[in-house]
Amino acid sequence: MLKNHLLAAAAATAILVGAALPALADMSIEYNDSFAPLVENGVKNFEAANPGTKVNLIKLPSDGYQDRVALDLSSGSAPDLIMVDSFLVAEYAGTGYLLPLDDMVKNWDQFQYYSKGLLDVASYNGKVYALPTDTDVRMLWYNRADFAKAGLPDPWAPKTWDDVLAAAQKLKDAGITDPWIIPAGTKREEAATMQGFYMALLGAGNPAGDTNRLRVRDQDKWIGDSPAIRATLNLYRTVYVDKKFGDPSVNYTLDDAGVRKALLDGTIGILASGSWENACFWDCTGANLPSQADRDKIVGYAPWPGDGKPGDKATTNISGGWTIAINAKAADPATAFKVLTAIFDKKNFLDWTVTNHRMAVRSDIATDPAYTQDPYLAKATELAKDTTGRDTVPGYLKVSALVQQATAEILDGKSVDDVVKEYHDALVDEFGADKVVTIQ
Amino acid sequence: MAQMSPWLRSARLPMLGAMLPAIALIAALVYFTAWAVTYSFTNLELTGFNSINWKWIGFDNYIRLFTRNGFLGSLWVTVVFTFFSALVGQSVFGFALAASMRRIQGWGRTTVEVTIMLGWLLPDIVAAFLWQATTSTNGFLNTLIVEPLGFPAYNFLASNALAVVIIANIWKGTAWSYLLFSAALDSISREILEAARVDGATGLQRIWLVTLPIIRPHIATNMLFITIWTFTYFPLIYALTGGGPGSATEVLSIFMYHQSFGVGKLGYGAAISVAMVIIVGALSIFYLRQLKEPK
Repeated sequence: MLKNHLLAAAAATAILVGAALPALADMSIEYNDSFAPLVENGVKNFEAANPGTKVNLIKLPSDGYQDRVALDLSSGSAPDLIMVDSFLVAEYAGTGYLLPLDDMVKNWDQFQYYSKGLLDVASYNGKVYALPTDTDVRMLWYNRADFAKAGLPDPWAPKTWDDVLAAAQKLKDAGITDPWIIPAGTKREEAATMQGFYMALLGAGNPAGDTNRLRVRDQDKWIGDSPAIRATLNLYRTVYVDKKFGDPSVNYTLDDAGVRKALLDGTIGILASGSWENACFWDCTGANLPSQADRDKIVGYAPWPGDGKPGDKATTNISGGWTIAINAKAADPATAFKVLTAIFDKKNFLDWTVTNHRMAVRSDIATDPAYTQDPYLAKATELAKDTTGRDTVPGYLKVSALVQQATAEILDGKSVDDVVKEYHDALVDEFGADKVVTIQ
Repeated sequence: MAQMSPWLRSARLPMLGAMLPAIALIAALVYFTAWAVTYSFTNLELTGFNSINWKWIGFDNYIRLFTRNGFLGSLWVTVVFTFFSALVGQSVFGFALAASMRRIQGWGRTTVEVTIMLGWLLPDIVAAFLWQATTSTNGFLNTLIVEPLGFPAYNFLASNALAVVIIANIWKGTAWSYLLFSAALDSISREILEAARVDGATGLQRIWLVTLPIIRPHIATNMLFITIWTFTYFPLIYALTGGGPGSATEVLSIFMYHQSFGVGKLGYGAAISVAMVIIVGALSIFYLRQLKEPK
């Protein structure tokens, strides 16, 4: 009998040790494949400096990445380090999924260079929970051959929505299949909210009192109905239903790569997207890129104009970006932080930022000659002077999903009145009537 | 117990052992169903405050199925999809093929069977890619048929997404109905059909009055299976259209996926899945009744 107990105890110990050992010796990191070179080169450097510790790479495709991370975190199966879209940091930190980094970053000499504003987005209740990889700006990309075919001016600088709609009409007359694609619908996920809806919304109302946003920030209330929201949905309706400048199916049957190829091929004339496209149109990992001059011959971009009404913004911009965070359940946070600093070590980070034309998040990189001498980055940084961020408070994820749903309903042909009413009521369901405001 | 056979009585312990997998399976089924039912009465979410501090909200999720956009529309899309792709398409097409193939033997039959099976065996994601490549503006249908005939290229997935998805699913699923009906038709003895012929029944009458009543249980079995599969089908549709454009092909499984993992409302997603279980359950009971021999 005793022998049996001893055996069982020995077996249990072996299992426990066996389960615990790899957790101590190995690290793992989950990341979006468009950031592969940044993560993988950083990990290589870490492994060279820390022989015996292996980092398992969990590389996932961009499509559906956000859903997978949310599931891994909520089920407790997430790895030690996780790449997280910046707007979700507050949401995840508030749920207790992420480890606050304050104690560790204060001993890291490169932390001082991070931009304060971007760290705010990666913070929750005054604590930093993630380190940003990059930031971005948003614009209207266009196919230069299409513009030449339609007799449109190039460089192009539309002043109002009507200018863009007029250009789209000319492109349509010239036989372009999808003259203007604004990301819409549920399959585009955050792109529909940020590259599309929010960029239009910011130019559709007076910035005073946040009437051009999804949320009145100082009142802590979501906007259920406003002239700006209606004007934005009307723009979607004009583009997708009334004028048929874009086919709704583009937002469903094509993935990111498919949409990019369509712009390069010229079947899409104008595409609302962001600064990363300078690389991503060809290759998001920055390998095999044509020269900047060759790329500039094929595509150009213009800032998103406002709706042209007095008092509204002349051009709009909203910035996001990605981050890497440490799992609150990581068995060995100190080693995980070492992996993190290896990824963000200046040389690796600078190489990646410049090769991929990402916008820098640190002053030591932004002032490095390799960065300042890049003409594309210099021009994009101009746009970043007048930018804003998303409403990154817990709950934004749901609001964003409701916005995507609202644009999908426009694609279905529903009226703006019906869509706004449904959006408002769904917000009340989620947050309560006292947290939802209507702007007349 | 008194009626238990001596063999069973002497083998009670091994029998219990043999039942363990079944008990585990039933326990798992009950566990997951109970999980879904329980959470359908809460505001549980995937992340954020409500993922930890969830509350009971009574029937709110179920009320929202009917008062908010989405569920009823998706239910209708699912009914149309299931009716046309499974009940009409796969069943009728599968039966017609099985009936017409009975006289054909040799390489002709092999070719047809292999072709049908290909659709079934091909992974959904590959099939989705093939259908997208076939029906897109510069796909085979347009470059080989529409444009040579002088018509402008037509984007089938834009204006007829549901029809494309239905046809794709008929192509994909007919093999099952074909195999089942082939086996069923093989079981009908030649004498009965000969007798009907001698009595002067026409071809249609033989099918309608002799063949179909005999294979009635097979028809019900087939309906039962393909209804369950098709009503909850996800991968091919999601990969092909993502539920769109708009919500044109948003069947209940995709709607539930969006609500649970896109919006993050697990409680609402659970209510949607409970509603799906109830609907499929009701249909299954209907089919199981049809399985009984007519009185």
